[in-house]
Amino acid sequence: MKLGKYWGYILLIIVVFAVPVVVRNDYYLHILVLCAINIMLTASLRSIATSGQISLGHAGFMCIGAYASAIMSMKFGVPVYASMLLGGVTALVVAAIISYPITRVKTVYFVMLTMFLGTVVTLVVTQWRSLTGGTTGIINIPPLGTISIFGLSIDFSSKMPNLYFAIILMLIILLFLYRIDRSYIGSTLQAISQDDTLVASIGINLVKYKIIMFCIGCFIAGLVGGFYAHYMSVIVPNSFSLFYSIYLLVYMIVGGTNRFAGAILGAFILTLVPEVSRVFLEYQPFIFVLVLYLVIFLLPGGLVSLPKYILSRIKK
Amino acid sequence: MLETRKLTKNFKGLHAVTDLDLSIDVGEIVGLIGPNGAGKTTVFNLITGFLKPTKGEVIFDGEDITGKKPHVIAKRGVVRTFQLDRIFLDFSVIQNVVTASHLYAGVGFLEAVFDTSHYKEKNKGAWDHAMKILEFVKLENKKNEIARNLSHGHQKLLAIAVGLAANPKILLLDEPLGGMNPAEVDSTLKIIGEIRNRGTAILLIEHNMKAVMSTCDRLIVLNFGEEIARGTPEEMQQNNDVIHAYLGVGKYAA
Amino acid sequence: METISQAIVNGLMMGWIYVLVALGLTLVFSIMRIVQFAHGEVYMLGGYCTYFFSVIFGVNVYLALLLAALVMGLLGVILERFLFRRFRGQVEGSMVVAIGLILLLQTAASVGFGTQDRWVPPFIPGVLVVWGVRIPWERAINVIICITLVVILFLFIRGTKMGQSLVAVSQDVDAATLQGIDVNRVSMASMAIGCALAAVAGGLVGAVFMVQPVMGGYAMQEGIAVIILGGLGSIWGAVIGGLILGLIDGMVPLVASTTVASIIGFVLIIIILIIKPQGLMGQK
Repeated sequence: MKLGKYWGYILLIIVVFAVPVVVRNDYYLHILVLCAINIMLTASLRSIATSGQISLGHAGFMCIGAYASAIMSMKFGVPVYASMLLGGVTALVVAAIISYPITRVKTVYFVMLTMFLGTVVTLVVTQWRSLTGGTTGIINIPPLGTISIFGLSIDFSSKMPNLYFAIILMLIILLFLYRIDRSYIGSTLQAISQDDTLVASIGINLVKYKIIMFCIGCFIAGLVGGFYAHYMSVIVPNSFSLFYSIYLLVYMIVGGTNRFAGAILGAFILTLVPEVSRVFLEYQPFIFVLVLYLVIFLLPGGLVSLPKYILSRIKK
Repeated sequence: MLETRKLTKNFKGLHAVTDLDLSIDVGEIVGLIGPNGAGKTTVFNLITGFLKPTKGEVIFDGEDITGKKPHVIAKRGVVRTFQLDRIFLDFSVIQNVVTASHLYAGVGFLEAVFDTSHYKEKNKGAWDHAMKILEFVKLENKKNEIARNLSHGHQKLLAIAVGLAANPKILLLDEPLGGMNPAEVDSTLKIIGEIRNRGTAILLIEHNMKAVMSTCDRLIVLNFGEEIARGTPEEMQQNNDVIHAYLGVGKYAA
Repeated sequence: METISQAIVNGLMMGWIYVLVALGLTLVFSIMRIVQFAHGEVYMLGGYCTYFFSVIFGVNVYLALLLAALVMGLLGVILERFLFRRFRGQVEGSMVVAIGLILLLQTAASVGFGTQDRWVPPFIPGVLVVWGVRIPWERAINVIICITLVVILFLFIRGTKMGQSLVAVSQDVDAATLQGIDVNRVSMASMAIGCALAAVAGGLVGAVFMVQPVMGGYAMQEGIAVIILGGLGSIWGAVIGGLILGLIDGMVPLVASTTVASIIGFVLIIIILIIKPQGLMGQK
């Protein structure tokens, strides 16, 4: 692996790791954690979408992971790192069970189906008060367990370690998804979204591919949900509403679905916009909508196509 | 190698295909001809699993493949193309063929993710396989063009290349010459002949009669879903039923 | 016994509101082929309009309803012309536009109107009691208005040239264009009608429940659920679907909670989407 090719990425990673140290303010650190969470969620959503499966229920799987992890660590004494992983596994199991019937469904219906799925998840969580605390949710969720390495003891009661954890988790997940995207799996998924009849006629089991990608994407959502639970220490069903799923989809579309980086860019920028425009108080959503409309009307390829757009304008 | 027995398909009162017995062996080019609407594409769909037969069986290499899923049948070696050109329009020409080639390479999931040397080797194998096929159909100089931008004739050639990349034992071509000019027809026919020579059997649906007569070893003639005649091209040209079926619709020679 | 029949009646009365919302939605979905998620917000604004016309301007409540429908219909035309036209037929683009619209309208409502409770004044006070079942006149009028509108819509589609054009475009845009139908005008008409219907639903609900900036979300989901159940583009489907969902919402709370009612309703939709996505009455 020639290092020379990757110097740009290495530089970027160094910057990313340096940022938390530079940013001291707890509030900004929190925003960055949210950025990382949204990037992971949007990237996994986009990976599922490469095969033409647009999911409006991603927040629902995050919800499953969050509650599973919280309940396991609190009621069953499972160590937090393990419960987080198990949260992802729970989401994976649900995804696996439901994926077989739903992946055969046409895109337009798949969108609606996942929308209702996500809503049903939050409704069930609301209803199952004995397990989940209903609308008031679960509080006092333990934070990530203390790690001792190199004689140092890292405890997660403050924002900074959590942010670093989120960043490292994000980089691992992004690398994983990127590798899938670049390999034959990613191009087969794209082939499936272009023409599934043709794909079947050359012997590719498209249902298998779609199911696998859906399950992976939902596993990641569940894992992120688990982290969210232990980071926020409080979860309510409303945090995982349909609105969140819709926002994730918007991040993905506005960022640009054609390139892998689109999901990252979209999630990062659109998570920041509401915070940056907080000065406008209750008018803040208008700024968000303005940014949305600017991109969707002027840049059909999404934010990620901005460099190309600027270049083509300059050339004129 | 490939055999159908009493293959029948009925749609709510419409008898699309009735009691069709056909067989193809290695090294044969068999033509399936008949007027429009005779049910030829339906036969393809039935053989390759895109439609389930109402009655009858499809046997391939001794195995009953009737009604199995399309991708399962394709993996066994029965590959088809489509009358209305199907290719991956947004992919480059070589990417189109590579997509089908990975089947041939047989790579694992985790290996792909971790980019192991085994994966790199198999991946290169798939791309090499794809290149060889492009050279075979003489599209190699267009390998990086986006499929959408190709001329009609080249797109049809690409569709054949994609089918070939899936390593078929028998290739079912649905009107591969449609819309081609005479020069393209000639070169495509040469390629089809060469495919047969290399050991892949071919079942051909075509309306271009000159091509059918010159290329096919045997013909099976369909009308209204039923076989009305079979035999060599010369025999078919003399057969009254065949002439009647075609004259009834008005098209005979290309 | 009394409670069951009460529940059935309540459910049916609620169901007609769903029908109204779903009808407007199905028009917009099937004709413009866009994902108009913001339909619920139009419904909400319709409720506010009715409130303002009747309470602030002191207009007769029925007239207020009519005015609200007209205002929202006009809004629909504006939305079509300037926002949605560009993304007709595109799932992704129209979805983002609609999301933006939801934010826009909801924020405008909470900023402009505030979040305090508001009620549209009752159309007719008092309760009718039939065989032990309480039917508030209010809700009875709701049903009558809904049924009247459905019939008018039905006649419009069957009987007028524009109505026929709507059907043509919903079945095949290209064929319709070839026949000389002005798809732009048809789109504007469908948005106008759709938004007007949603506005009326919002106004009617505002008299029974409250008018709030957030009332649109639930209506939207129910509207989509009805369309899926009944089939896209089908008036009968919307009616049957709306009534079935209304019944579920009315009767399940007898044995369980309203949350469970919603869960059952949505699980039913999910199953339908898997088995017969065209819905009960759909063909495509």
